[in-house]
Amino acid sequence: MTNLDASSSEVVFKPKPSLPPPPNTVGAIGWVRKNLFSSPLNAFLTILSLYVIWVIVSNTFEWAIVNAVWEANSRRECLDKVGLSGACWAGVSHWMKNFIYGRYPDEEVWRVNLGFGTLILWMLPFWLPRVTSKIAIGASAILISPFLLGYLFAGGEKGLFLQVMISIAITSFIFSWAHTLLSMATGKSLWAAIVQASGFSAKPEATHKYPVFAACLVVFAVAFAWQSSWDITSQSTNLWGGLFVTLVISGIGIAVSLPAGIVLALGRRSKMPVIRVFCVSFIELFRSVPLITVLFMAVTMVPLFLPEAINPVKIVQAIIAVCIFSSAYMAETVRGGLQAIPKGQYEAAQALGLSYWKMMTLIVMPQALKLMIPNIVGSFIGLLKDTTLVSIVGLYDLLLMLKAVSQNPQWNGIHTEPLVFGAALYFVLCFVMSKYSQHLERTLGAGQAGR
Amino acid sequence: MSMDAQVETKQTVKSTKGDEVVIELAGVNKWYGEFHVLKDVNLSVHQGEKIVICGPSGSGKSTLIRCINRLEEHQGGDIIVNGVTLDNNLKNIDAIRSDVGMVFQSFNLFPHLTVLENCTLAPIWVKQTPKAEAEELAMEYLERVKIPEQANKYPGQLSGGQQQRVAIARSLCMNPQIMLFDEPTSALDPEMISEVLDVMVELAESGMTMLVVTHEMGFAKRVADRVIFMDYGEIVEQNTPEEFFTNPRSDRTKLFLSQILAH
Repeated sequence: MTNLDASSSEVVFKPKPSLPPPPNTVGAIGWVRKNLFSSPLNAFLTILSLYVIWVIVSNTFEWAIVNAVWEANSRRECLDKVGLSGACWAGVSHWMKNFIYGRYPDEEVWRVNLGFGTLILWMLPFWLPRVTSKIAIGASAILISPFLLGYLFAGGEKGLFLQVMISIAITSFIFSWAHTLLSMATGKSLWAAIVQASGFSAKPEATHKYPVFAACLVVFAVAFAWQSSWDITSQSTNLWGGLFVTLVISGIGIAVSLPAGIVLALGRRSKMPVIRVFCVSFIELFRSVPLITVLFMAVTMVPLFLPEAINPVKIVQAIIAVCIFSSAYMAETVRGGLQAIPKGQYEAAQALGLSYWKMMTLIVMPQALKLMIPNIVGSFIGLLKDTTLVSIVGLYDLLLMLKAVSQNPQWNGIHTEPLVFGAALYFVLCFVMSKYSQHLERTLGAGQAGR
Repeated sequence: MSMDAQVETKQTVKSTKGDEVVIELAGVNKWYGEFHVLKDVNLSVHQGEKIVICGPSGSGKSTLIRCINRLEEHQGGDIIVNGVTLDNNLKNIDAIRSDVGMVFQSFNLFPHLTVLENCTLAPIWVKQTPKAEAEELAMEYLERVKIPEQANKYPGQLSGGQQQRVAIARSLCMNPQIMLFDEPTSALDPEMISEVLDVMVELAESGMTMLVVTHEMGFAKRVADRVIFMDYGEIVEQNTPEEFFTNPRSDRTKLFLSQILAH
């Protein structure tokens, strides 16, 4: 075949057509041949592995499903039925409430559910399409919700400050959702709608904030009146436990460690010596000490230096310790991301006249954090698992709760089943986070070929 | 190099352009550690003047123009841009950077933003231009560099020449009075150099004050009012392009020209 068209005086180039690849190199058969049976040794290893997998899976299946006891009132009943050849899931379902809420009273559990439900609902607009101002909604959820949730969980008397914060929380929750529904339905922002409804749209732009402030004040006043009628009993943090405590500690740790880590990482690269020395010492001190030590220091040593009138709450001390520790780690993760940003990005931003903070928030951080997503989520997963260490200082987190069950006379010696359940629960939590981070990487990286 | 020759040529150049001096460098010195990279550099740039700076690698030509908008700090002498003295005062630095645009060898577009967002970012965040107005302005400049159809793509989806034209548009969106070009075509494939040079020629014809570090001698011959040759951190020779290319004075210049024009 000739590529040259001789009849024309000009030489015309025609590329050869593409042919399909040879058979047996593509598709399922090609894959199996290439990856599993490429040599006699590989074929042998494949068959051996399949056998090992079969043995493990079939025995586990028998123990966990076929021979398992689902209903019983004590471990003795389980043992009488199947001995050790089947799992005693009754032991897990009997204690399920404690695994999730600790020793929180049954009739008050709705408060925990309501708190977490509110938080999820508050964050939900972040994942909905066509919603604008997502960052403001997310930030309000993270910054203001702890006051509302903290009151729901702990209850009791509330001072004026807490009352104001709770009312602000209710106000911003309502505004977040009003804005979300409005922007999903009409594409307009709540701000614009309020301005229009109040008839201020014809007036100069500087006055537009007044009707919005007025609307905020009205909702705030209603919220304040409403919440002052709330009367819920005080629940000591000693009763908190299980998954509830694990999520509270790791959730606050995650929410604090990322911004704190960013600030520390920037401080470490600062040109101002005082800030730099402080950040370097903080990071290096807490990175070179095990988390257990930090927890012990916070829970047993710190109270010795405080006046007796202050009686610190153990879970608060543990949360502070976890936050400090994870911030130091996060700072190094973020610094790694910052160092991956080419110098040219800083120079281009400077040449355009951006100030340091604008350069960092608009140019450097978005790129660095995107690069860092796998590492940041890795730290979050590590943090979630590290919170099991708070059991050492006597907080009944999920792990300690799972182990405590085996001390009960009725269920004496039941270790495996609760721990298997705990492992599955941790796996689900961590796997969801990991998958979400991969999803984030894909969506944030969309359309940005070449980087 | 003789001082008389320099003064003489400067005066001949001056007659063709506006009298207003927009950039004044007086006795500028700079060191990288022990290395003396700029040695007592004096230079006056007039309104609307196009200057091409050439010289062998390591001669300090990039450093020189990077000092003008404070990407590098000079350690001796004075740099005055539009009457503002460049010192550690952040206000002065900001004032100068808002008057001076810069185009880099490696484009340095922001990869996480679209072409349009690259162009509107600085107007919106530095000059507080309303978004719609900034976008209109950006589209105007993207049309001027002939890539309005790429506005919603990301930089990574464009060719090198297109990226560099976006970078030029991005700088122009800040309405600078002076443009600095740091080897704008050195990182480009040969077939893309001319599309960038075309944009630069068009910009030069519109009367922009330009300082261009480049080895594109054809560009220098076509648009430069003055060609500056640097070596070892000094301005060895400066002259009109005709004189510079046909009648170089110093032997160092002759050697350099023979090397780059040999092929």
